[in-house]
Amino acid sequence: MSLDLIIEAKDVAKWYGAFQVLKDINLTVRKGERIVVCGPSGSGKSTLIRCFNRLEAHQQGEITVNGITLHDKMRNVAEVRKYVGMVFQHFNLFPHMTVLMNCMVGPMWIKGVSAAEAKKTALRFLERVRIPEQANKYPAQLSGGQQQRVAIARSLCMEPAVMLFDEPTSALDPEMVSEVLDTMTSLARDGMTMVCVTHEMGFARAVADRVIFMNAGQIVEEGTPQAFFTNPQNERTKLFISQILKH
Amino acid sequence: MRHLTRLTALAASLAFTLSALPANAGAVLDRVLAAKTLKVATDANWAPQSFMNDKNELDGFDVDVAKDIGKRLGVGVEFVTPGWDIITAGNWSGRWDMHVGSMTPTKARAKIFDFPSVYYYTPAAVAVHKDSKATVLADLNDKAVGTTATSTFEAYAKQDLTLDAAGAPAFTYEFKPKDVKSYSNSTTAFDDLRLGDGTRLDAVVSSLPSIIEAEKAGYPIKQLGDPVFYEPLAVATEHGDPEFDAKISEAMKAMQSDGTLSKLSVKWYGVDYTVVK
Amino acid sequence: MLYPDTVEAEVLVHKPWFVATMFAVILAAFLAFNLTGTTMGDLMRPVIGDPLQSGLYGRFAVAFVVAVIFSLNVVLIGFAPLKVQIAIVWLELLVLFLGFFETFHLSLPFIWEKLPFLITQGAVTTLYVSAISIVIASVIAILGAVAKLSTNGFAYAIASFYTSFFRGLPLLMQVYLIYLGLPQLGFVIDAVPAGILALSLCYGAYMTEIFRSGIQSIDRGQWEASRSMGFGFGITMRRIILPQALPVIIPPTGNQFISMLKDSSLVSVIGVWELMFLARTLGQKTFQHMEMLISTAMIYWIMSICLELIQSRIERHYARSKVR
Repeated sequence: MSLDLIIEAKDVAKWYGAFQVLKDINLTVRKGERIVVCGPSGSGKSTLIRCFNRLEAHQQGEITVNGITLHDKMRNVAEVRKYVGMVFQHFNLFPHMTVLMNCMVGPMWIKGVSAAEAKKTALRFLERVRIPEQANKYPAQLSGGQQQRVAIARSLCMEPAVMLFDEPTSALDPEMVSEVLDTMTSLARDGMTMVCVTHEMGFARAVADRVIFMNAGQIVEEGTPQAFFTNPQNERTKLFISQILKH
Repeated sequence: MRHLTRLTALAASLAFTLSALPANAGAVLDRVLAAKTLKVATDANWAPQSFMNDKNELDGFDVDVAKDIGKRLGVGVEFVTPGWDIITAGNWSGRWDMHVGSMTPTKARAKIFDFPSVYYYTPAAVAVHKDSKATVLADLNDKAVGTTATSTFEAYAKQDLTLDAAGAPAFTYEFKPKDVKSYSNSTTAFDDLRLGDGTRLDAVVSSLPSIIEAEKAGYPIKQLGDPVFYEPLAVATEHGDPEFDAKISEAMKAMQSDGTLSKLSVKWYGVDYTVVK
Repeated sequence: MLYPDTVEAEVLVHKPWFVATMFAVILAAFLAFNLTGTTMGDLMRPVIGDPLQSGLYGRFAVAFVVAVIFSLNVVLIGFAPLKVQIAIVWLELLVLFLGFFETFHLSLPFIWEKLPFLITQGAVTTLYVSAISIVIASVIAILGAVAKLSTNGFAYAIASFYTSFFRGLPLLMQVYLIYLGLPQLGFVIDAVPAGILALSLCYGAYMTEIFRSGIQSIDRGQWEASRSMGFGFGITMRRIILPQALPVIIPPTGNQFISMLKDSSLVSVIGVWELMFLARTLGQKTFQHMEMLISTAMIYWIMSICLELIQSRIERHYARSKVR
C-alpha cells in the first residue's frame, strides 16, 4: 500500500498571521488517483495544493511526498518538485523563451539532459497537447488556451509522478476552457495521477475518482462524484452545489 | 549570498596583507634610480611656472627646473598633475617622488614635507582693477580680496602668514580686508576682478609674475604698491629619505653655481628671481 | 504621453490675453535693461537718432520693437505644423546661444588648433573612464540588488550600508576619499583607476536601486513557476528573472551613463587628463580659457546628444518587444 502512496497529509494546519487558512487537513493521494478539490473562494484549496510542492509552508502536521517529509530545513526540495508537476491559473510561462525552450529548460537544467534529447521530449509533449506547430512562437503570441496547454506540456516534460492543477481554466475565455479540459481529460485517461483545484463540475463528474469539498480551511465533505453531486451530506456543500447548478 | 560573504572576506584579508607592507620604505632614491624615472608632481595651471604649451605639453619654469634636476640625477622625468590640495595633503604613497611646483616651505608644511632646497623667491603683490581708486595698500582696508585657497597669499590676506624658511625676508601686513575670498587658482580670481572694480573683488593677492602675465594678456588690472612679501619657494619631498634630499640639494647647488637656474628664471620671468633683492 | 483630446484645443499662443501678457512682460523686461547702447540701439538710429542721446524715448522704442518682433515670432510659429515648430524653436534658441558666445570674441583659430587634442586626449579619456565605470557599476548593482532583496541579514546590511553611504556623499568627496584614503589601507592606485573606482562605486549605489526595482517588477508567478520546476536560486535569477528584468533596467541605465559622462569631470581634481581637466588647463597661459570652456561644453553636449539618440533607440527597441 505504501508503495502507491504519492502524497500524504496528516493533521495539516497553516496560518497567515493570525488567520488560519488550513485546519486539520487529512488527505492521501494514491497512484493513478484523480482528485478534484472544490469549494468557495478563500476556502484554502489553492493553498493546500501549493503546500504539496512546498511553494507554501505549513506550520503543523506532516506532509509526505514520495516518502520525503516536507519541512523548512529540507535540503532535497528539488527532488520533490521534480516529482510533482504544477499548472498555474495564470500559466506563468517564461515570456522571454519560445514555447519549445519553455518545455526544454526543465529537463536540460535539472536532469542534465542534452539539448537534442530535451527537444525530442518537448516536441513529443507538445504533440500530446496538440500544438506542435506553435513550438517556435513566444508565449505572448498564443491564445490563453494554447498557453495553458504549453504550461501542461512544460510540466509533463519533467515526467512527474503527479500533476497539480491550480484552477487551470479560471483565467481563460469561456470558449478556450474546453480545449484545456480536453487535454486534462486525456491525461487522466492515460492514468496520470492528478489533484485539480477547479470549479468545472462536468470535468469532476466525468474524470474524478474522488471529490473533496473545502470550506474555511477544512475538508468538510469527501466522496465519489456520484455521491457528492446527488447526495451531499453537509449543509455548506448543499448550498454550494445548488449555487453552481442554478444557471 | 555565500559568494558575497566570501568575496568580502577575501577583500578584507587582502587589505590587511597589503597594509602590513610599508607604503613608503624610505628608499625613494633607490626606486628612482631603479626605474630610471623621476616622477614629479606639478600644477598644469600655473603659468609661467607650469602650464600646457602650444604643443599640449607641460612647460614653464618649474617644469624646466624639474627636468634639469632629473638630468643631473641621470634619470628621465615624468610629470603628474594632481590638484594642489591633493599634493599638499601629503600621503603621496609613492605615486610621485617629488614636487616642483613653487611650494612655500612653511612650518605647517614642514610637518609633512622635507624641503631640500629653496630655488627661487617670488614677490607677492596686490593687483587691483584698472579703474580702482586705491592709491596705497592701506586703501584696501575693509575691502574684498581674492586669493588662491590654502596659499601663502590667502594666509597673508588673513594676516596669518608665517614665513619660516631660511632666508625669507621680513614683512608687514599692509592692509586688513573685510572679506577674503578663496579660489581654486589665481586665474579665476583675476576673472572675478576683471568684472569691474568692486563688482566681486576689490583686489587680488597673487604672485607678481602671474599678475604681470595677466596684465600682458589684456586683463584690465594693475599692480598696487610694492611687493608685500617675498616668498621663498622650494622643492618638496616626503619625510624619510635623506639621501634623496641630499641628491636634490646637490643638484640644485650645481644649477645655482653654473648659472643654469638664473638663466631659466630670466627665460621665463625676464628677471632673476633666484636671489633675494 | 499626455494623450491629447481628440477635440483640438485653441492654440494658446493665439489667445489674445496670452499675446497681450507676453507683449507686456517682454516690454517691461527690456525697458528695465537699457539696450540703447547695444547693436539694437544702433539699428534703431533712423528712428531714435543718436542712441546715447535718445533717453527714455529711445529706451521705450527699442523695447517696443523687441517686444513686437518677439510676439510676432511666437504668434507666427503658432501657425506652423508641429515638426516645423520644433525645428524653428530649436534653431532660434541655437542662434541666440551662438550670439551669446559671440559676445566673448572667441579666437576661432585657437579653438581649431586645440580641438584635435581636446578630442583625442580629453573626450577619449572621458568616454573610456565612463564606459569602464558603467560596466563595473552594473556588476556591483546586480550584486547589490540581490543582496538588498535577500533575506540574508549579513548581505542586506552590507548592501544597504553601501548604498546609503555612497548615495549620501557628494561624488567629489568620494573621489578624494578613494584617491587619498585607499593608500592608508595599502592600496596605492593611480588617478585613473581611482577615478573609475569612485564613479563605479557611486553609480553602482544608484543603479542598485534601479536593478532592485527591475527585479521586483517581475511577477511572483515567474518565481513560482521556476521553483515548481525545481530550479534553484541561481538558475532562477540568471535564466528566468534577470533576462526579463533587463528591458526594465536598460533604459534608466542609459540615463545613468549619460549623467556619468558629465560627472566624470570630477576626476579632473586628481589630475586625470580628461575633457574637464583640459578645459581648465589649455589656454591658461594665454588666458584663452573661455575658448576652451565653451568648446568643451560643446563637446560634452554633442556626446550627450549622441548618447541620448542611442538611448531612445534602445527604449524603442524594448517598447516594440513588449508589444510583440
